[in-house]
Amino acid sequence: MGAKRKKSESETMEDYDDDVVLDKKEKKKMKQMEKEKKKEILPSMIKNKEKRSAVHAKLKLQKKVEKRKKLKARDAEEKRALELGEEPPPRKIPRTIENTREFDETVCKPDDELFAGNDADEFSSVLKRERIPKILITTSRFNSTRGPAFISELLEVIPNAHYYKRGTYDLKKIVEYAKKQDFTSLIVVHTNRREPDALLIIGLPDGPTAHFKLSRLVLRKDIKANVLSLLRCIACRIMEIPTSHEPELVLTNFTTHLGHRIGRLIQSLFPQEPNFRGRRVVTFHNQRDYIFFRHHRYIFETKESKQGDSKGKNRKDGKGEKNTQQKVIARLQECGPRFTLKLRSLQHETFDTKGGEYEWVHKPEMDTSRRRFFM
Amino acid sequence: MPRTTTLECPGCPPLRALTFDSLGLIKVIESRVPQVVERWGDPDPSKCVLAASIDDRKKDPLLAVARKNGEVEAVNPLNGEIHAVFSNVGEDGVQPEDDAISGLHLFRRERPSGKALHASISVTKTWKVCGSGNVLCSKVDGSENYAVFGGKGVEVNLWDLEDCTKIWTAKPPPKNSLGIFTPSWFTCTTFQSNDDHRKFVADTNSHQVHLYDISAQRRPVLSFDFRETAIKVVTEDQDGHTLYIGNGSGDLASFDMRTGTCIYFD
Repeated sequence: MGAKRKKSESETMEDYDDDVVLDKKEKKKMKQMEKEKKKEILPSMIKNKEKRSAVHAKLKLQKKVEKRKKLKARDAEEKRALELGEEPPPRKIPRTIENTREFDETVCKPDDELFAGNDADEFSSVLKRERIPKILITTSRFNSTRGPAFISELLEVIPNAHYYKRGTYDLKKIVEYAKKQDFTSLIVVHTNRREPDALLIIGLPDGPTAHFKLSRLVLRKDIKANVLSLLRCIACRIMEIPTSHEPELVLTNFTTHLGHRIGRLIQSLFPQEPNFRGRRVVTFHNQRDYIFFRHHRYIFETKESKQGDSKGKNRKDGKGEKNTQQKVIARLQECGPRFTLKLRSLQHETFDTKGGEYEWVHKPEMDTSRRRFFM
Repeated sequence: MPRTTTLECPGCPPLRALTFDSLGLIKVIESRVPQVVERWGDPDPSKCVLAASIDDRKKDPLLAVARKNGEVEAVNPLNGEIHAVFSNVGEDGVQPEDDAISGLHLFRRERPSGKALHASISVTKTWKVCGSGNVLCSKVDGSENYAVFGGKGVEVNLWDLEDCTKIWTAKPPPKNSLGIFTPSWFTCTTFQSNDDHRKFVADTNSHQVHLYDISAQRRPVLSFDFRETAIKVVTEDQDGHTLYIGNGSGDLASFDMRTGTCIYFD
């Protein structure tokens, strides 16, 4: 024990020797830095909740004020540069989770393998317009409250969709029945605690089975309620039941092979001849593995925008010489339900959880980082 | 699938893997810099690869590939050259699409009853393995005298290839305690080691692994469950008692067959 103590003492003596080598000025700087660090008390170090929350609020306010100052300064510089005729300094790109997404090798590249795969997969007959999509919608065995409302709205969104009550049939038997009746897809809306919470899309005859988690469902009557309270003009007449024109389909951000396959699955639900005059659009937007469903009607409007307000005011000639620019913009009005889907599993054949082969299953061990997405 | 990590293994010999896909392409992947090194064939869904077998000898190795349109090709695995192509339309006129090939084995040595040459292989004998049901899996043992077949509704059989006779059949499992009888559905089989033709493993659609010993009894000697989905593939290790199993939801595990314990699980 004694020997150990001696060694530790000798080590500390060596440290002191090193210190002596440092300049005296540097030592002073180091001491000042340490003092400053000690002065900055982090809110998390304060044990008293009231004081801690007060300090935290103050810090937040400081940060907010600083950020506003920075933004104002940046805008002022840009304006000045524009007036002077110089190029404004380039805006910095914010770092987002989508920007810093982990590299994925399965991102689709437009090569002949992809196109050959597209020709060979289960949806090619529908997407090449050889078969007209015919959808069978049904529910889980217990269905109540929001379920039927959601289904009636789905029936309006998806053309050529038929609803059948579930009864007590086995899902595998329903799949066979649908095959006989020449349906191209089967959608099962699963309800849990009186709220639709899962969607099962089965392609027929041998198509893949996609199991989605459904969340954030907003029915049409709830959307209408929000907007009606804001609108005062007669234009609110536009927001009625959507027409039965074939909708246009917008699928964005399905980049990987899995995403591409899911995109084609969704595409095969809708008819391939959109009626552009109907001005109806259905959007499936994929972001961070969540698919957002929106249903809009749009109108084209011409908007007159004045050019250079300050110059117009100074002119004494009058209003006749104002420079007006005609811009055509599209105004969107949301109709129909709004919900979010997240893919839980994709199975290669029709519904068979026990014996089937899964193409993709979400397991919690796959969520290794916040910047890793699969679709 | 969990994130793939790259580890530097300086002592590990470079791996070369051949993969086949449903568009009929054969891709060669090397592990030095993990990437696809070569790609043979054109994407053609009718040429979907159903089964493959390799004879990895030092001189003139050969790879046999069975495709969906009934063709069996003999390919050189080093450069992708096709040596020969055979058509497998059955004698009774069954179309290849209805009667898809489910297993393929490339014989290494010449057989006295058949005429197997280096570069060309001719089909000499065909026989019916089972009366009804689908044969889903087959495996030929190391000495190439015996073959085991199994399938949906087809119990595991062991055939002697010299005489083309069935020498052993497994007995269906006993009834459940509830009285429910699940018909057997074997999805993959393999012999436990290259030398011993008596022990083999068969995996079922109901996530069970059975080890059979023909010298002991007709029911499985050892059987255990593996997760919840059907087991799709099984293969043996060279040491004779380790087994690698893969199932339908992407889980991989290795088991020690002497005890039935799981060594590694992914």
